[in-house]
Amino acid sequence: MIAGRPGPLWLRSLLQYVLALGLSVLALWLSIVLQTRFGNPFWFFFAIAVIASTWLGGRGPGWVAVCFSTLAALYFFIPPYRSWHLSLEDVPFFLTFALCQVGSNWLVAWRKETEDAVRRARDDLEIRVEERTIELKQANDALVTQMEEQRRTQEALLAARTELARVARITTIGELTASIAHEVNQPIAAVVANADACVAWLTRSVPDLAEARAAAERAVQGATRASEVIVRIRSMIVKAAPEKGPVQLNGVIEETAALASGQAERNTVNFSLALDPALPPVFGDSIQLQQVILNLAVNGIEAMSAVNGRPRILAVRSEAPAPGQVQVSVQDTGTGVKPENLGRLFEPFFTTRPNGIGMGLSISRSIIEAHGGKLWVESDGSSGSIFRFTLPAAKEAAP
Amino acid sequence: MKETSEPMVYVIDDDRQIRDGLHSLIRSVGLRVETFGSAQEFLDAKRPDAPACLILDVRMPGLSGFDLQQTLKSAGLHLPIIFMTGHGDIPMSVRAMKEGAHEFLTKPVRGQDLLEAVQKAIAADTRARRERAALDEIRARFQSLTPRENEVMNLVVAGLLNKQIADELGMSELTVKTHRAHVMEKTAADSLAHLVRMAERLRVDAQK
Repeated sequence: MIAGRPGPLWLRSLLQYVLALGLSVLALWLSIVLQTRFGNPFWFFFAIAVIASTWLGGRGPGWVAVCFSTLAALYFFIPPYRSWHLSLEDVPFFLTFALCQVGSNWLVAWRKETEDAVRRARDDLEIRVEERTIELKQANDALVTQMEEQRRTQEALLAARTELARVARITTIGELTASIAHEVNQPIAAVVANADACVAWLTRSVPDLAEARAAAERAVQGATRASEVIVRIRSMIVKAAPEKGPVQLNGVIEETAALASGQAERNTVNFSLALDPALPPVFGDSIQLQQVILNLAVNGIEAMSAVNGRPRILAVRSEAPAPGQVQVSVQDTGTGVKPENLGRLFEPFFTTRPNGIGMGLSISRSIIEAHGGKLWVESDGSSGSIFRFTLPAAKEAAP
Repeated sequence: MKETSEPMVYVIDDDRQIRDGLHSLIRSVGLRVETFGSAQEFLDAKRPDAPACLILDVRMPGLSGFDLQQTLKSAGLHLPIIFMTGHGDIPMSVRAMKEGAHEFLTKPVRGQDLLEAVQKAIAADTRARRERAALDEIRARFQSLTPRENEVMNLVVAGLLNKQIADELGMSELTVKTHRAHVMEKTAADSLAHLVRMAERLRVDAQK
């Protein structure tokens, strides 16, 4: 396409005119050569020159070819040859030739211009389509970015919500612990004061047995009161949220693993979940059951804090060992429970941790028993322990 | 009178079993003890004039241990206080000690620790009472001076000679000497130095 060729406009026009002239000269030359061989001139070469000039160069170069071929025909091919003279009988012939040339030029130019217009229109359309495509692509990119941003915002929101729930839970546990600590500390302080008094009365130079006995009795009362406080707290915790319903333990386990993941990470402990996808739901309070699983998980993580030289893995499994029964086990690779402690592990205030209050397992067992299940521990005393609890599966008809 | 000067231990705790236990414990070492269920009961009670100390629970319904400490302080009642608390955090104990607490113990309190703290507190209160009594005695003696004698005393203590005092107050040197003799007699001062020391103690106490 000449129109599509690069270069200054004037140069292109000049080339088109030169081309028109060249084609006309070529036509003349061919006509002369063929005339010497065959006798008759071949006018139609001029027609081709005009058509080609007009087609390639447009109306102007076409006119050049028309003028050139008309003059060349007059000079070379209309008798008398090689003269500009035109006799009267040759006028119709010459005019016909000239008109044919003009007509060819006009027709081809018209056709060419129409085609150019169509092509321009098509090019315009293509450009416009391209522009619109770019615009659409930009809009699409912006949309994708926005969606990505929204997804990230949603993730951040979810993370914040999870964090909030965790903090709220920890705060609640902290407040509960403080309150338990105070409630239990009072009677214990009384026991200590009375026991000290008892000893003091007995160790006087003349022991006062009546005073000692009274003090000892008060110490017993204090201890009884402490135990009553525990019973009350335990029943309070068990009764705290009586919202019972069908609970999917797998979901609770996953949620708990997420809650404890921070602590696990800090202690370089890996969670390993093996959950039975066909686990039937149980009937109970999901918050309380989560509390049990969280307690077992955190205990397991802490039990492994002293472990070095072997992987720290907390394996949580769920399965249905028998129809109508669900079992969850939390296994750690810690140092295990010493045989002499196995029997006392679930007693209130029994703890092996310096800062523990020894209520977690006691409360957990209360919760599991309140749900009609059992909680126990298996440990060989060296390579970790497994805490297991079973719960009855929810009946089909359960609300 | 002799009986009332025996040391006295007050226990304030809202927990009856703790009160009874501490009552028994303190009695077992032969100290007098009185217990109260609230700070208000203690404030309402009549207290004998004897060296004493106060064993005080921080966390109590109504007036807290710290509130009572403030009340006693602003009423000018000087009693060494032994605080007991179930959750003795450091900021709390620092605050109590700054306000003049004698000791800060965490519940459950070991009997031996408490009795030691009580003995120390009573010893401190005995010393403080003796100090206050001595000061009261001096103050009474100085208050028995006539206005003129008081003027003379002030100038004597300021280090002026009789002649200068006479000039200052527009009286004869002989009159100054007479007043000065009365001052020494009424304040029971052995010497000029003794008089100056007593006057200084009163001045320091008045500034407190």
